[in-house]
Amino acid sequence: MSAEQRLTLRRRLIAFLVAGIGTAAATAISFAMTVYEAANPKVVPQVAAGQPIDTGRWIIAIHEARVGSIPPTGTRPLTPKKLLMVEFDLDNRSASASNAFLRLFAIDPPVANLPLPTFYLGRDKWIASGLQPNMPERMIAAWEWPSAVPVPQHLRLKVASQIYKHRDNLYGAPGWFDRDPVAIVTLDVAPEAGGTGR
Amino acid sequence: MNNVLKAIVAVAASAAVLYGLQRTTPSYGEITSPIAVTGKLGKRIAANAFVIGVVKVHLARTVTTKSVGRTQTFTSSGVWALVEGAAEARSESLSLMSAQWLGRDGVRYALSQRFSTVPGFLPSQRLEPGLPQPVLMAFEIPEDQVSEGTLLIARTAWTPLEEEVRIELTGVGPDDIRPALVLARSEGAVPWTLKSE
Amino acid sequence: MTAAAAPTGGERRRYWFSLAALAIVLPAAIVVNSWDSLSEWRRLNSRTPLTVERGATQRYAGAQWQLTSLTRLPEGPTGAIPIVAEFEAVVDDPDLLKSPCAVVLVDDRGRRWQPAFLPSRVVRQARREAADKPRCGAFPNAEKGKTIMMAATFTVPGSATGLTLSVTVAGARPEYLVFR
Repeated sequence: MSAEQRLTLRRRLIAFLVAGIGTAAATAISFAMTVYEAANPKVVPQVAAGQPIDTGRWIIAIHEARVGSIPPTGTRPLTPKKLLMVEFDLDNRSASASNAFLRLFAIDPPVANLPLPTFYLGRDKWIASGLQPNMPERMIAAWEWPSAVPVPQHLRLKVASQIYKHRDNLYGAPGWFDRDPVAIVTLDVAPEAGGTGR
Repeated sequence: MNNVLKAIVAVAASAAVLYGLQRTTPSYGEITSPIAVTGKLGKRIAANAFVIGVVKVHLARTVTTKSVGRTQTFTSSGVWALVEGAAEARSESLSLMSAQWLGRDGVRYALSQRFSTVPGFLPSQRLEPGLPQPVLMAFEIPEDQVSEGTLLIARTAWTPLEEEVRIELTGVGPDDIRPALVLARSEGAVPWTLKSE
Repeated sequence: MTAAAAPTGGERRRYWFSLAALAIVLPAAIVVNSWDSLSEWRRLNSRTPLTVERGATQRYAGAQWQLTSLTRLPEGPTGAIPIVAEFEAVVDDPDLLKSPCAVVLVDDRGRRWQPAFLPSRVVRQARREAADKPRCGAFPNAEKGKTIMMAATFTVPGSATGLTLSVTVAGARPEYLVFR
């Protein structure tokens, strides 16, 4: 190789190494951060019943839980059912009406074969259709509990959160996106009024 | 020296231009936002696919619906706004599925779905070309959003570049709030009657 | 650093020639890649009407179609005129009739009325047999030699003139029937 060729080769080698150091540093830092976060998980704060929780899109205050056989509509269902009902206040903090509260809170740890809850508007005693912004309402979520599983005495609810992105990563369109759970609420489940047990 | 200066100036100028372009690019939401056709309360507004006019806005704290054998009273933490109007399709049968009350501070309140049966409810009316039909819309809004509101009516809420009629609700204010409204079915040309108490 | 040599005459000519050729090659590449989509779009959008006069039958989508009656009912309280269209198809080749069917009433101004989902009370009282006939749709049980009787009700204003009934079976596009 001539002197000139060796010079350009050395320059290319130096450039290659410099770029490689940057990439290696990025990989190492990312790996270290993942390991650190796995070793020190963020603690989800415990919130007392009745305290308002800001989840981004909704402000929710969970009040009480009870077991019953009559849903909040007041009419007894045709087949006897066990219903776990949770009463809460919900306030829509976004700029448009929404009915996206289906997965706002979930029972933790999850119960097998539990269908999604039905949400009732306390004011109407009927199935909730959607909440308007800045108009808080008292609502009731009712889970139809499977008959084989005993109803718990203490209920642990994990409350999820959402953030608003003005431009998302795919279309650049505005939207609400799920984030980590923001609170855990523990409630005592009041037995069925009339004392007929489970 | 001159060359280096020219290079620096060129880079700085391109950076400035690119920064300006980045700041002024409209977002996806703005690019696909509905095309507005504006109008006023009481006027007949003609969009490309449909014609709509809002006749009267009733405000009340409670609404009582009377249907066969059942009387229900609906309360609200705000105010009920029942809007009476008439709509007609222009060239093809269609349904107007989306109606929103745009409040003074930019918050949108969608149609209330709490009434189980509303005669003449806008989303359930099939509008035929050449046949104007009376339509009714119901909204729940906080009391401070009653004045300076705008009605946004479109075929769907999510289709990009959908035609949307914006009706400025001038002359509607908190003085018009009645204590109660009674909504009942009627057999005449207008399928409902609204009485305030 | 060595400066780049000034381009020679031949190089410059080749450069401009390539640039000019790009103006032809680029559209050609787009057309070749989307030829299938283009021909499909053209097939779906071009519509050839088959006009059928009253009383005549027309072969379409593997069946012989005929408009049996077009009844104008009296005007309702809001100025709406119900129109009941009854038509039938004698099946010859059942496969084409398995795709969805669209029926539309068109007037001479180009306005289009979709049929009602269910016949109204007025139609039920005035034309009982028509209210019982099914809507035009996909007929998975079509058999050769059978006659399928269908009906559709429309609500039109008094100002609608020159009404024609347009029947489109999805599998038989781009052709569609126009009953006068």
